[in-house]
Amino acid sequence: MRSFIGLLRKEYIQIFRDKFMLRLIFIMPVMQLIVLGYAINTDVKRIPIDVYDYDQSALSRQLVEALKAGDYFTPSFRLTADEKAPLWDLDHRFKDGHADMALIIPSHFSERLTQKDSVTVGLVADGSDANGARSGIGYASQIVRSYSKQVTGMEPLFEVRSTFLFNPESESKYFMIPGVVVTLLTMVSMMLTAMAIVREREMGTLEQVLVTPIHPVVLLMGKVTALAILSILEMSIALGIGMLWFGVPFAGSFLLLFALSGLYLLTTLGLGMFFSTVTSTQQQAMFMVWFFSIFTMLTSGFFTPISNMPNWLQQVTIVNPMRYFLVIVRGIIMKGSTLADLWPNVIALIIFGITLFVFSTLRFHKRAA
Amino acid sequence: MSYLVLDGLSKSYGKVPALRDFSLTVEKGDIFALVGPDGAGKTTALRIVCQLIVADAGRVFLDGHNLAERFDALKSILGYMPQTFSLYQDLSVEENLIFFGGMYGVTGEAYRARRDYLYGFSNLGPFADRRAGALSGGMKQKLALSCALMHDPHLLILDEPTTGVDPLSRRQFWEILLHFRSQGTTIVVSTPYMDEVARADHAAFMFGGRRLSVGTPSDLAAQFDGQVLFLDLEPSSTLIDKLNTIDGLSARRFGSAMHLYIAKDQSPARFAGPLASLGIDTTLIRPASPSLEDRFIQLMETGA
Repeated sequence: MRSFIGLLRKEYIQIFRDKFMLRLIFIMPVMQLIVLGYAINTDVKRIPIDVYDYDQSALSRQLVEALKAGDYFTPSFRLTADEKAPLWDLDHRFKDGHADMALIIPSHFSERLTQKDSVTVGLVADGSDANGARSGIGYASQIVRSYSKQVTGMEPLFEVRSTFLFNPESESKYFMIPGVVVTLLTMVSMMLTAMAIVREREMGTLEQVLVTPIHPVVLLMGKVTALAILSILEMSIALGIGMLWFGVPFAGSFLLLFALSGLYLLTTLGLGMFFSTVTSTQQQAMFMVWFFSIFTMLTSGFFTPISNMPNWLQQVTIVNPMRYFLVIVRGIIMKGSTLADLWPNVIALIIFGITLFVFSTLRFHKRAA
Repeated sequence: MSYLVLDGLSKSYGKVPALRDFSLTVEKGDIFALVGPDGAGKTTALRIVCQLIVADAGRVFLDGHNLAERFDALKSILGYMPQTFSLYQDLSVEENLIFFGGMYGVTGEAYRARRDYLYGFSNLGPFADRRAGALSGGMKQKLALSCALMHDPHLLILDEPTTGVDPLSRRQFWEILLHFRSQGTTIVVSTPYMDEVARADHAAFMFGGRRLSVGTPSDLAAQFDGQVLFLDLEPSSTLIDKLNTIDGLSARRFGSAMHLYIAKDQSPARFAGPLASLGIDTTLIRPASPSLEDRFIQLMETGA
């Protein structure tokens, strides 16, 4: 026990003395959160929309006002009252990026509306950003529909009312930040473990320790314990920034989140140990972890839902442990899920964790002895 | 039975044999030197003793116990200093001592007493807070030795501890070794330096994974087959080439002079004529006793 404390002590001295690594460990979460919390914003707000109003009536202007109201669109008028130009510059406006959408209001718009006759308005969107176009068209159609109802007083035959549960404003950062927490925990624990073990081998220190009465597995456990604590600390920082800075609401139980994070660490530490046994330099270990992380991240459902993937790829994600942990973390943070909701994912993590941790420990022991 | 016995060790790396049927006996309290050039198999032999690699064949006995079978129990009486500096470069001198002391269970008061005792030899006390990576070569080696000595081992294995270290530090290092030998520590040390071999109690010449010869340093030198003449003349390769044309004589650089080798039964006087004809002042020649190096080169060349 005393020597175990000696091992932990040594690990922390080393970690906190390496200024470069230390900066990396603590700046990485901040950077990732800023990039993913702000830059990757899939919310649709203030879409630049060009309005081709061939009607130039009070009613057509009301429709444009309705578009403006929700902060979803910033309309700009492309035609003056006497102009009857064709849509010749629409294509051009999309190409140079001045507009992402266009609304075309035909002549006789108000005339037909007042006669309660059917009228068609045109919506065009720049489809090169497919997601943006889809939600833009969605919002605009909704606005047009409710305007039509308001003006004509006619109820449509049926109506769809949609609500986003757990994220009423459909804020993408509420969805992204739990994902960042997962990737950080994964990357940090896996990379630090692989690199710290390989460094001992590379510097020859492993050999020096192996001749001491300390069992190689005890040495390994000292290392992974130190790194597990550090990873949890890192995760807490990311979570703290997410909640305090980005205002992500936390619906579930902290205790459950941290307990299951500890469980997930068995998997990532096990993978880190495994990578250390198949590489011989820190550089190799880093590249290997990097490659593996990108792959697991992309197939975890972090950026794109697993249900959107082709069937064969969906089958591959079954062996991606991050997938299960992502469901757990998003569930606890956003929906307040409990163990009773999450148990299939928890069982998956138990299986991955024990298998990988034990397998890698044995592999390390075999290589060391 | 001898304290440490290496019995018929063989080891190959792929197809390259590193150690071939290598045997050795080391007596308790001796300093035993393994001598040979790079690739002779010294490191392989020492690493097998420390169980860092497994021999293809052969066994090691320590104090009568089969080392491989009882290694966990024997680890605590073994101290090892590998060839390359293998302490934590990012830890300070003292932190390394604490760590390695701790691994052997030397903590608290016992640790402090041991540390101060070792500082007395290594003079590293004033550098206690310096990172190991920032120490000079000689200080690094003294720190590595101190870490290997933290638990007062009975057997100390040192792999080329003085290679690349300045002469003054080398001398200090050997003084520390001689002190611990006088305390009863058995020391096995590998070295490429012949002058260090002379300070050992016993030595083995190694070449190409084989043991060429073994004995006390003076015995080893005395095994030289032939006579040695000292020629007090600045050596040059043209001169050595010329000397080697003389039948029955060979010449070799020896420091800033030369050694001439002739067969045991030859009279040195026989070579006075041929030497004089090369323009060599024969008064510069005098009989000399063979050095360890003379014997080692002879063994390497004859492949004995």
